[in-house]
Amino acid sequence: MLKSKVDEVLQDVNKLPAISSVVSKVLEKLQKPDVNIADLAQEISKDPAITANVIKLSNSAYYRASKPIRTVQEALMTLGIKTVKEIVLLTAAKGILAQDLNSYQLEAAQLWTASLLVAELSSKIVQHKKLKIDKDLAFTSGLLCSVGKIVLAQFFSPVMMQLKTDLKNNQEPFPSLEKKYFGYTHMEVSETLLKRWNFPPELTDVVANYLTPEASKVNPLLTSVVHIASILIVVSGIGIDIGGESVPISPFALSQTGVTDADIETYFVHIPDLQAGLADLLNV
Amino acid sequence: MSIKSKIINVGIADIKVGKDADVLRTTLGSCIGIVLYDPDQKIGAISHIMLAKDPTGKDMSKFPHKYGETALPILIDMMKKEGSEIGQYNCRIFGGASMFKGINSQFLQNIGEQNILIVRKFMEEKKIPIIVEDVAGNEGRTISLYCDDGRVLLKKAGMEKYLYKVR
Repeated sequence: MLKSKVDEVLQDVNKLPAISSVVSKVLEKLQKPDVNIADLAQEISKDPAITANVIKLSNSAYYRASKPIRTVQEALMTLGIKTVKEIVLLTAAKGILAQDLNSYQLEAAQLWTASLLVAELSSKIVQHKKLKIDKDLAFTSGLLCSVGKIVLAQFFSPVMMQLKTDLKNNQEPFPSLEKKYFGYTHMEVSETLLKRWNFPPELTDVVANYLTPEASKVNPLLTSVVHIASILIVVSGIGIDIGGESVPISPFALSQTGVTDADIETYFVHIPDLQAGLADLLNV
Repeated sequence: MSIKSKIINVGIADIKVGKDADVLRTTLGSCIGIVLYDPDQKIGAISHIMLAKDPTGKDMSKFPHKYGETALPILIDMMKKEGSEIGQYNCRIFGGASMFKGINSQFLQNIGEQNILIVRKFMEEKKIPIIVEDVAGNEGRTISLYCDDGRVLLKKAGMEKYLYKVR
Protein backbone atom coordinates (compact mmCIF):
# COMPACT_ATOMS: atom_id res chain seq x y z
CA MET A 1 0.00 0.00 0.00
CA LEU A 2 1.38 3.33 -1.10
CA LYS A 3 -0.98 5.41 0.99
CA SER A 4 1.67 6.81 3.30
CA LYS A 5 3.75 7.93 0.31
CA VAL A 6 0.74 9.57 -1.31
CA ASP A 7 -0.04 11.20 2.04
CA GLU A 8 3.46 12.60 2.15
CA VAL A 9 3.02 14.22 -1.25
CA LEU A 10 -0.44 15.54 -0.44
CA GLN A 11 0.91 17.21 2.68
CA ASP A 12 3.88 18.77 0.94
CA VAL A 13 2.77 21.88 -0.91
CA ASN A 14 6.02 21.94 -2.88
CA LYS A 15 5.36 18.53 -4.39
CA LEU A 16 1.85 19.28 -5.60
CA PRO A 17 0.96 20.91 -8.89
CA ALA A 18 0.65 24.63 -8.19
CA ILE A 19 -1.40 27.42 -9.68
CA SER A 20 -0.04 30.92 -9.84
CA SER A 21 -0.76 33.16 -6.86
CA VAL A 22 -2.37 35.58 -9.30
CA VAL A 23 -4.99 32.96 -10.18
CA SER A 24 -5.72 32.29 -6.49
CA LYS A 25 -6.06 36.01 -5.81
CA VAL A 26 -8.33 36.52 -8.81
CA LEU A 27 -10.56 33.66 -7.65
CA GLU A 28 -10.60 35.02 -4.12
CA LYS A 29 -11.60 38.50 -5.32
CA LEU A 30 -14.31 37.02 -7.50
CA GLN A 31 -15.95 35.33 -4.55
CA LYS A 32 -16.70 38.73 -3.04
CA PRO A 33 -19.94 40.37 -4.20
CA ASP A 34 -18.44 43.86 -4.57
CA VAL A 35 -15.65 42.96 -6.99
CA ASN A 36 -14.16 45.93 -8.78
CA ILE A 37 -13.12 45.70 -12.45
CA ALA A 38 -10.12 48.00 -12.24
CA ASP A 39 -8.88 46.09 -9.22
CA LEU A 40 -9.30 42.76 -10.97
CA ALA A 41 -7.60 44.00 -14.14
CA GLN A 42 -4.66 45.17 -12.09
CA GLU A 43 -4.35 41.79 -10.35
CA ILE A 44 -4.48 39.81 -13.62
CA SER A 45 -1.97 42.14 -15.24
CA LYS A 46 0.63 41.12 -12.66
CA ASP A 47 1.08 37.85 -14.53
CA PRO A 48 2.32 38.49 -18.09
CA ALA A 49 1.57 34.97 -19.37
CA ILE A 50 -2.02 35.06 -18.11
CA THR A 51 -2.47 38.61 -19.41
CA ALA A 52 -1.29 37.57 -22.86
CA ASN A 53 -3.64 34.60 -22.88
CA VAL A 54 -6.59 36.66 -21.68
CA ILE A 55 -6.10 39.10 -24.54
CA LYS A 56 -5.42 36.38 -27.10
CA LEU A 57 -8.43 34.26 -26.12
CA SER A 58 -10.72 37.28 -25.75
CA ASN A 59 -10.13 37.90 -29.44
CA SER A 60 -10.61 34.26 -30.47
CA ALA A 61 -13.57 33.00 -32.45
CA TYR A 62 -14.69 30.99 -29.43
CA TYR A 63 -15.51 34.04 -27.30
CA ARG A 64 -16.65 36.22 -30.20
CA ALA A 65 -15.92 39.65 -28.70
CA SER A 66 -17.80 42.42 -30.47
CA LYS A 67 -14.68 44.56 -30.96
CA PRO A 68 -10.91 44.03 -30.82
CA ILE A 69 -9.65 43.73 -27.24
CA ARG A 70 -6.27 45.20 -26.32
CA THR A 71 -6.16 45.15 -22.53
CA VAL A 72 -7.39 43.05 -19.63
CA GLN A 73 -9.64 45.91 -18.58
CA GLU A 74 -11.24 45.95 -22.04
CA ALA A 75 -11.69 42.19 -21.88
CA LEU A 76 -13.46 42.51 -18.53
CA MET A 77 -15.73 45.26 -19.80
CA THR A 78 -16.56 43.59 -23.12
CA LEU A 79 -16.81 39.94 -22.17
CA GLY A 80 -17.74 40.31 -18.51
CA ILE A 81 -16.09 39.18 -15.32
CA LYS A 82 -17.30 35.58 -15.51
CA THR A 83 -15.87 34.98 -18.96
CA VAL A 84 -12.53 36.48 -18.06
CA LYS A 85 -12.46 34.31 -14.96
CA GLU A 86 -13.04 31.31 -17.22
CA ILE A 87 -10.12 32.34 -19.40
CA VAL A 88 -7.85 32.81 -16.40
CA LEU A 89 -8.78 29.36 -15.09
CA LEU A 90 -8.36 27.81 -18.50
CA THR A 91 -4.84 29.16 -18.74
CA ALA A 92 -4.00 27.88 -15.28
CA ALA A 93 -5.58 24.50 -15.99
CA LYS A 94 -3.67 24.09 -19.24
CA GLY A 95 -0.42 24.54 -17.34
CA ILE A 96 -1.36 21.68 -15.03
CA LEU A 97 -3.35 19.35 -17.28
CA ALA A 98 -1.19 19.33 -20.39
CA GLN A 99 1.19 16.55 -19.44
CA ASP A 100 1.66 12.91 -20.35
CA LEU A 101 0.22 10.44 -17.85
CA ASN A 102 1.96 7.33 -19.15
CA SER A 103 0.84 5.08 -16.32
CA TYR A 104 -2.78 5.98 -17.07
CA GLN A 105 -2.00 5.37 -20.78
CA LEU A 106 -2.96 8.96 -21.48
CA GLU A 107 -1.07 11.49 -23.56
CA ALA A 108 -0.98 15.20 -22.73
CA ALA A 109 -2.95 16.23 -25.81
CA GLN A 110 -5.64 13.65 -25.02
CA LEU A 111 -5.93 14.70 -21.39
CA TRP A 112 -6.25 18.38 -22.32
CA THR A 113 -8.72 17.72 -25.14
CA ALA A 114 -10.84 15.50 -22.91
CA SER A 115 -10.80 18.03 -20.03
CA LEU A 116 -11.95 20.80 -22.36
CA LEU A 117 -14.63 18.61 -23.89
CA VAL A 118 -16.04 17.58 -20.51
CA ALA A 119 -16.12 21.28 -19.62
CA GLU A 120 -17.81 22.30 -22.86
CA LEU A 121 -20.32 19.44 -22.83
CA SER A 122 -21.22 20.18 -19.17
CA SER A 123 -21.93 23.77 -20.11
CA LYS A 124 -23.98 22.66 -23.15
CA ILE A 125 -26.06 20.23 -21.07
CA VAL A 126 -26.89 23.02 -18.60
CA GLN A 127 -28.09 25.20 -21.46
CA HIS A 128 -29.89 22.45 -23.36
CA LYS A 129 -31.82 21.23 -20.32
CA LYS A 130 -32.30 24.82 -19.05
CA LEU A 131 -30.95 23.87 -15.63
CA LYS A 132 -30.60 26.48 -12.93
CA ILE A 133 -26.82 26.35 -12.93
CA ASP A 134 -24.36 28.95 -14.11
CA LYS A 135 -22.95 27.54 -17.36
CA ASP A 136 -19.50 28.95 -16.61
CA LEU A 137 -19.48 27.13 -13.29
CA ALA A 138 -20.37 23.92 -15.14
CA PHE A 139 -17.53 24.57 -17.59
CA THR A 140 -14.94 25.07 -14.86
CA SER A 141 -16.07 22.06 -12.84
CA GLY A 142 -15.89 19.85 -15.89
CA LEU A 143 -12.46 21.14 -16.77
CA LEU A 144 -10.85 20.08 -13.52
CA CYS A 145 -12.23 16.57 -12.93
CA SER A 146 -9.10 14.69 -13.90
CA VAL A 147 -6.60 16.84 -12.06
CA GLY A 148 -6.02 14.27 -9.28
CA LYS A 149 -4.68 11.78 -11.84
CA ILE A 150 -1.64 14.03 -12.24
CA VAL A 151 -0.62 13.23 -8.67
CA LEU A 152 -1.52 9.53 -8.67
CA ALA A 153 0.21 8.88 -12.01
CA GLN A 154 3.62 9.13 -10.34
CA PHE A 155 2.87 6.22 -7.99
CA PHE A 156 1.98 3.56 -10.54
CA SER A 157 5.34 2.00 -11.32
CA PRO A 158 5.94 -0.12 -8.18
CA VAL A 159 2.47 -1.67 -8.36
CA MET A 160 1.99 -1.76 -12.12
CA MET A 161 2.36 -5.54 -12.59
CA GLN A 162 -0.05 -6.41 -9.80
CA LEU A 163 -2.46 -3.66 -10.84
CA LYS A 164 -2.59 -4.94 -14.41
CA THR A 165 -3.42 -8.46 -13.20
CA ASP A 166 -6.14 -7.07 -10.98
CA LEU A 167 -7.43 -4.94 -13.82
CA LYS A 168 -7.94 -8.00 -16.00
CA ASN A 169 -10.29 -9.63 -13.51
CA ASN A 170 -11.74 -6.43 -12.18
CA GLN A 171 -15.46 -5.86 -12.60
CA GLU A 172 -15.55 -2.72 -10.46
CA PRO A 173 -15.03 0.88 -11.53
CA PHE A 174 -11.34 1.73 -11.91
CA PRO A 175 -11.33 4.21 -8.98
CA SER A 176 -11.75 1.20 -6.67
CA LEU A 177 -8.32 0.01 -7.85
CA GLU A 178 -6.88 3.48 -7.28
CA LYS A 179 -8.22 3.30 -3.74
CA LYS A 180 -6.83 -0.21 -3.24
CA TYR A 181 -3.32 0.57 -4.44
CA PHE A 182 -2.81 4.23 -3.59
CA GLY A 183 -5.20 4.68 -0.69
CA TYR A 184 -6.97 7.41 -2.62
CA THR A 185 -9.13 7.73 -5.70
CA HIS A 186 -8.18 10.45 -8.17
CA MET A 187 -11.39 12.23 -7.11
CA GLU A 188 -10.17 12.44 -3.52
CA VAL A 189 -6.84 13.82 -4.70
CA SER A 190 -8.59 16.37 -6.93
CA GLU A 191 -10.63 17.47 -3.94
CA THR A 192 -7.47 17.98 -1.87
CA LEU A 193 -5.85 19.96 -4.68
CA LEU A 194 -8.83 22.26 -5.19
CA LYS A 195 -9.11 22.91 -1.48
CA ARG A 196 -5.42 23.74 -1.43
CA TRP A 197 -6.00 26.21 -4.26
CA ASN A 198 -8.88 27.85 -2.36
CA PHE A 199 -11.48 26.96 -4.95
CA PRO A 200 -15.11 27.44 -3.86
CA PRO A 201 -16.82 24.45 -2.16
CA GLU A 202 -19.19 23.96 -5.09
CA LEU A 203 -16.28 23.16 -7.41
CA THR A 204 -14.52 21.01 -4.85
CA ASP A 205 -17.70 19.00 -4.35
CA VAL A 206 -18.07 18.29 -8.07
CA VAL A 207 -14.54 17.01 -8.63
CA ALA A 208 -14.82 14.92 -5.44
CA ASN A 209 -18.03 13.20 -6.58
CA TYR A 210 -18.28 13.41 -10.36
CA LEU A 211 -18.18 9.63 -10.75
CA THR A 212 -20.56 9.05 -7.82
CA PRO A 213 -22.97 12.00 -8.15
CA GLU A 214 -25.39 10.54 -5.60
CA ALA A 215 -22.72 11.23 -2.95
CA SER A 216 -22.61 14.95 -3.74
CA LYS A 217 -23.55 17.12 -0.78
CA VAL A 218 -23.18 20.68 -2.06
CA ASN A 219 -24.67 20.60 -5.56
CA PRO A 220 -25.91 17.18 -6.74
CA LEU A 221 -27.43 18.71 -9.88
CA LEU A 222 -24.16 20.25 -11.04
CA THR A 223 -22.26 17.09 -10.12
CA SER A 224 -24.75 15.05 -12.14
CA VAL A 225 -24.25 17.25 -15.20
CA VAL A 226 -20.48 16.86 -15.06
CA HIS A 227 -20.90 13.12 -14.43
CA ILE A 228 -22.90 12.63 -17.62
CA ALA A 229 -20.52 14.80 -19.67
CA SER A 230 -17.45 12.98 -18.40
CA ILE A 231 -18.85 9.50 -19.09
CA LEU A 232 -19.89 10.47 -22.62
CA ILE A 233 -16.45 11.83 -23.41
CA VAL A 234 -14.83 8.63 -22.14
CA VAL A 235 -17.24 6.48 -24.15
CA SER A 236 -16.31 8.46 -27.25
CA GLY A 237 -12.70 7.43 -26.61
CA ILE A 238 -11.30 10.91 -26.11
CA GLY A 239 -9.12 10.83 -23.03
CA ILE A 240 -10.05 7.21 -22.35
CA ASP A 241 -7.41 5.86 -19.98
CA ILE A 242 -6.34 2.62 -18.35
CA GLY A 243 -9.69 2.52 -16.53
CA GLY A 244 -11.60 2.16 -19.80
CA GLU A 245 -15.36 2.46 -19.65
CA SER A 246 -15.61 0.98 -16.19
CA VAL A 247 -17.97 3.58 -14.73
CA PRO A 248 -21.61 3.38 -15.86
CA ILE A 249 -23.90 6.37 -16.22
CA SER A 250 -25.62 6.92 -12.90
CA PRO A 251 -29.44 6.67 -12.97
CA PHE A 252 -29.40 9.29 -10.19
CA ALA A 253 -27.64 11.74 -12.52
CA LEU A 254 -30.17 11.09 -15.28
CA SER A 255 -33.14 11.69 -13.00
CA GLN A 256 -31.58 14.81 -11.45
CA THR A 257 -30.90 16.46 -14.79
CA GLY A 258 -33.80 15.09 -16.80
CA VAL A 259 -31.35 13.98 -19.48
CA THR A 260 -33.08 11.33 -21.58
CA ASP A 261 -31.65 8.50 -23.68
CA ALA A 262 -32.46 10.55 -26.77
CA ASP A 263 -30.50 13.50 -25.32
CA ILE A 264 -27.51 11.25 -24.69
CA GLU A 265 -27.67 10.00 -28.26
CA THR A 266 -27.64 13.59 -29.53
CA TYR A 267 -24.80 14.68 -27.24
CA PHE A 268 -22.72 11.66 -28.23
CA VAL A 269 -23.18 12.18 -31.95
CA HIS A 270 -22.20 15.83 -31.68
CA ILE A 271 -18.95 15.34 -29.76
CA PRO A 272 -16.81 15.78 -32.92
CA ASP A 273 -18.61 19.04 -33.76
CA LEU A 274 -18.10 20.19 -30.17
CA GLN A 275 -14.41 19.42 -30.51
CA ALA A 276 -14.19 21.39 -33.76
CA GLY A 277 -15.72 24.41 -31.99
CA LEU A 278 -13.02 24.25 -29.32
CA ALA A 279 -10.12 24.61 -31.74
CA ASP A 280 -9.04 28.00 -30.33
CA LEU A 281 -9.03 26.75 -26.76
CA LEU A 282 -7.23 23.51 -27.58
CA ASN A 283 -4.25 25.55 -28.72
CA VAL A 284 -4.13 28.01 -25.80
CA MET B 1 9.99 4.21 -35.11
CA SER B 2 12.50 5.73 -37.51
CA ILE B 3 13.64 9.31 -37.55
CA LYS B 4 11.54 9.96 -40.63
CA SER B 5 8.35 8.75 -38.95
CA LYS B 6 5.48 11.15 -38.90
CA ILE B 7 2.68 10.55 -36.43
CA ILE B 8 -0.70 11.32 -37.94
CA ASN B 9 -3.50 11.53 -35.41
CA VAL B 10 -6.81 10.22 -36.64
CA GLY B 11 -9.45 12.08 -34.65
CA ILE B 12 -12.93 10.94 -33.77
CA ALA B 13 -15.06 10.71 -36.96
CA ASP B 14 -12.00 11.12 -39.13
CA ILE B 15 -10.20 9.18 -41.91
CA LYS B 16 -6.49 9.38 -42.69
CA VAL B 17 -4.22 7.63 -45.17
CA GLY B 18 -0.47 7.18 -44.77
CA LYS B 19 2.45 5.40 -46.36
CA ASP B 20 6.02 4.23 -45.69
CA ALA B 21 7.32 5.89 -42.52
CA ASP B 22 3.96 7.35 -41.48
CA VAL B 23 2.35 6.20 -38.26
CA LEU B 24 -1.42 6.54 -38.03
CA ARG B 25 -2.77 6.69 -34.50
CA THR B 26 -6.24 6.78 -32.97
CA THR B 27 -7.93 6.22 -29.61
CA LEU B 28 -11.17 4.30 -29.37
CA GLY B 29 -13.92 3.85 -26.80
CA SER B 30 -17.16 2.58 -28.26
CA CYS B 31 -16.13 3.80 -31.69
CA ILE B 32 -14.54 1.45 -34.21
CA GLY B 33 -11.19 1.88 -35.88
CA ILE B 34 -11.04 0.26 -39.30
CA VAL B 35 -7.47 -0.38 -40.42
CA LEU B 36 -6.72 -1.13 -44.08
CA TYR B 37 -3.19 -2.04 -45.09
CA ASP B 38 -1.55 -2.86 -48.40
CA PRO B 39 1.67 -4.72 -47.50
CA ASP B 40 3.24 -4.57 -50.98
CA GLN B 41 2.92 -0.83 -51.44
CA LYS B 42 3.11 0.03 -47.70
CA ILE B 43 -0.07 2.07 -47.84
CA GLY B 44 -2.36 2.19 -44.82
CA ALA B 45 -5.52 3.93 -43.71
CA ILE B 46 -7.58 4.27 -40.56
CA SER B 47 -11.23 5.24 -40.44
CA HIS B 48 -12.62 6.10 -36.99
CA ILE B 49 -16.39 5.78 -37.06
CA MET B 50 -18.79 6.61 -34.22
CA LEU B 51 -21.99 4.98 -35.40
CA ALA B 52 -23.09 2.53 -38.08
CA LYS B 53 -25.83 4.81 -39.38
CA ASP B 54 -26.97 8.38 -38.93
CA PRO B 55 -30.00 8.18 -36.61
CA THR B 56 -31.39 11.49 -37.86
CA GLY B 57 -30.51 11.12 -41.53
CA LYS B 58 -29.54 14.80 -41.53
CA ASP B 59 -26.02 14.74 -40.18
CA MET B 60 -24.29 12.31 -42.53
CA SER B 61 -24.12 14.66 -45.51
CA LYS B 62 -22.36 17.22 -43.31
CA PHE B 63 -20.16 14.76 -41.43
CA PRO B 64 -19.85 11.65 -43.62
CA HIS B 65 -16.79 10.34 -41.77
CA LYS B 66 -18.83 9.90 -38.59
CA TYR B 67 -21.01 7.06 -39.83
CA GLY B 68 -20.09 3.62 -41.15
CA GLU B 69 -22.54 3.76 -44.04
CA THR B 70 -20.92 6.89 -45.47
CA ALA B 71 -17.35 6.58 -44.17
CA LEU B 72 -16.56 3.09 -45.47
CA PRO B 73 -17.03 3.87 -49.20
CA ILE B 74 -14.92 7.03 -48.70
CA LEU B 75 -12.20 4.94 -47.04
CA ILE B 76 -12.08 2.63 -50.07
CA ASP B 77 -11.95 5.65 -52.41
CA MET B 78 -9.09 7.19 -50.44
CA MET B 79 -7.07 3.97 -50.70
CA LYS B 80 -7.78 3.92 -54.42
CA LYS B 81 -6.54 7.49 -54.83
CA GLU B 82 -3.29 6.46 -53.16
CA GLY B 83 -3.00 3.66 -55.73
CA SER B 84 -4.27 0.70 -53.75
CA GLU B 85 -7.20 -1.31 -55.09
CA ILE B 86 -9.42 -3.87 -53.38
CA GLY B 87 -7.56 -7.17 -53.37
CA GLN B 88 -4.28 -5.49 -52.48
CA TYR B 89 -5.16 -4.79 -48.85
CA ASN B 90 -6.71 -6.50 -45.82
CA CYS B 91 -8.80 -5.16 -42.98
CA ARG B 92 -8.34 -5.20 -39.20
CA ILE B 93 -10.86 -3.77 -36.70
CA PHE B 94 -10.48 -2.46 -33.16
CA GLY B 95 -12.69 -0.80 -30.54
CA GLY B 96 -16.44 -1.08 -30.16
CA ALA B 97 -16.42 -1.13 -26.37
CA SER B 98 -20.01 -0.03 -26.43
CA MET B 99 -20.94 0.04 -22.78
CA PHE B 100 -23.59 2.64 -22.21
CA LYS B 101 -24.32 1.05 -18.87
CA GLY B 102 -27.10 2.40 -16.70
CA ILE B 103 -29.40 3.50 -19.48
CA ASN B 104 -32.20 1.66 -21.22
CA SER B 105 -31.80 2.73 -24.81
CA GLN B 106 -31.30 -0.23 -27.12
CA PHE B 107 -29.75 2.09 -29.63
CA LEU B 108 -27.05 3.29 -27.25
CA GLN B 109 -26.31 -0.10 -25.77
CA ASN B 110 -25.83 -1.61 -29.22
CA ILE B 111 -23.62 1.05 -30.73
CA GLY B 112 -20.46 -1.08 -30.62
CA GLU B 113 -22.23 -4.17 -31.91
CA GLN B 114 -23.90 -2.27 -34.76
CA ASN B 115 -20.56 -0.75 -35.69
CA ILE B 116 -18.93 -4.17 -35.85
CA LEU B 117 -21.81 -5.56 -37.92
CA ILE B 118 -21.77 -2.83 -40.52
CA VAL B 119 -18.01 -3.14 -41.00
CA ARG B 120 -18.24 -6.94 -41.37
CA LYS B 121 -21.11 -6.66 -43.84
CA PHE B 122 -19.37 -4.00 -45.91
CA MET B 123 -16.07 -5.90 -46.04
CA GLU B 124 -17.84 -9.11 -46.97
CA GLU B 125 -19.67 -7.39 -49.83
CA LYS B 126 -16.47 -5.83 -51.08
CA LYS B 127 -14.54 -9.07 -50.56
CA ILE B 128 -12.00 -7.48 -48.23
CA PRO B 129 -10.89 -10.03 -45.62
CA ILE B 130 -10.97 -9.03 -41.95
CA ILE B 131 -7.86 -10.73 -40.61
CA VAL B 132 -7.64 -9.35 -37.05
CA GLU B 133 -10.31 -8.21 -34.60
CA ASP B 134 -9.89 -6.81 -31.10
CA VAL B 135 -13.33 -5.53 -30.25
CA ALA B 136 -15.96 -5.21 -27.48
CA GLY B 137 -15.28 -5.30 -23.73
CA ASN B 138 -15.09 -2.11 -21.71
CA GLU B 139 -11.50 -1.11 -22.37
CA GLY B 140 -10.26 1.91 -24.21
CA ARG B 141 -7.82 1.16 -27.01
CA THR B 142 -5.11 3.21 -28.64
CA ILE B 143 -3.93 1.79 -31.95
CA SER B 144 -0.94 2.88 -34.00
CA LEU B 145 -0.50 1.62 -37.54
CA TYR B 146 3.13 1.63 -38.72
CA CYS B 147 2.88 1.96 -42.47
CA ASP B 148 6.45 0.69 -43.04
CA ASP B 149 5.48 -2.91 -42.27
CA GLY B 150 1.81 -2.72 -41.28
CA ARG B 151 2.24 -3.74 -37.66
CA VAL B 152 -0.29 -2.34 -35.21
CA LEU B 153 0.67 -1.33 -31.68
CA LEU B 154 -2.36 -1.98 -29.51
CA LYS B 155 -2.55 -0.41 -26.06
CA LYS B 156 -5.38 -1.31 -23.74
CA ALA B 157 -5.98 -1.79 -20.02
CA GLY B 158 -2.34 -1.42 -19.06
CA MET B 159 -0.99 -3.74 -21.76
CA GLU B 160 0.87 -2.96 -24.97
CA LYS B 161 1.48 -5.40 -27.79
CA TYR B 162 2.43 -5.43 -31.43
CA LEU B 163 0.22 -7.28 -33.88
CA TYR B 164 2.22 -8.24 -36.96
CA LYS B 165 -0.40 -10.09 -39.02
CA VAL B 166 -0.91 -8.13 -42.24
CA ARG B 167 -1.87 -10.84 -44.78
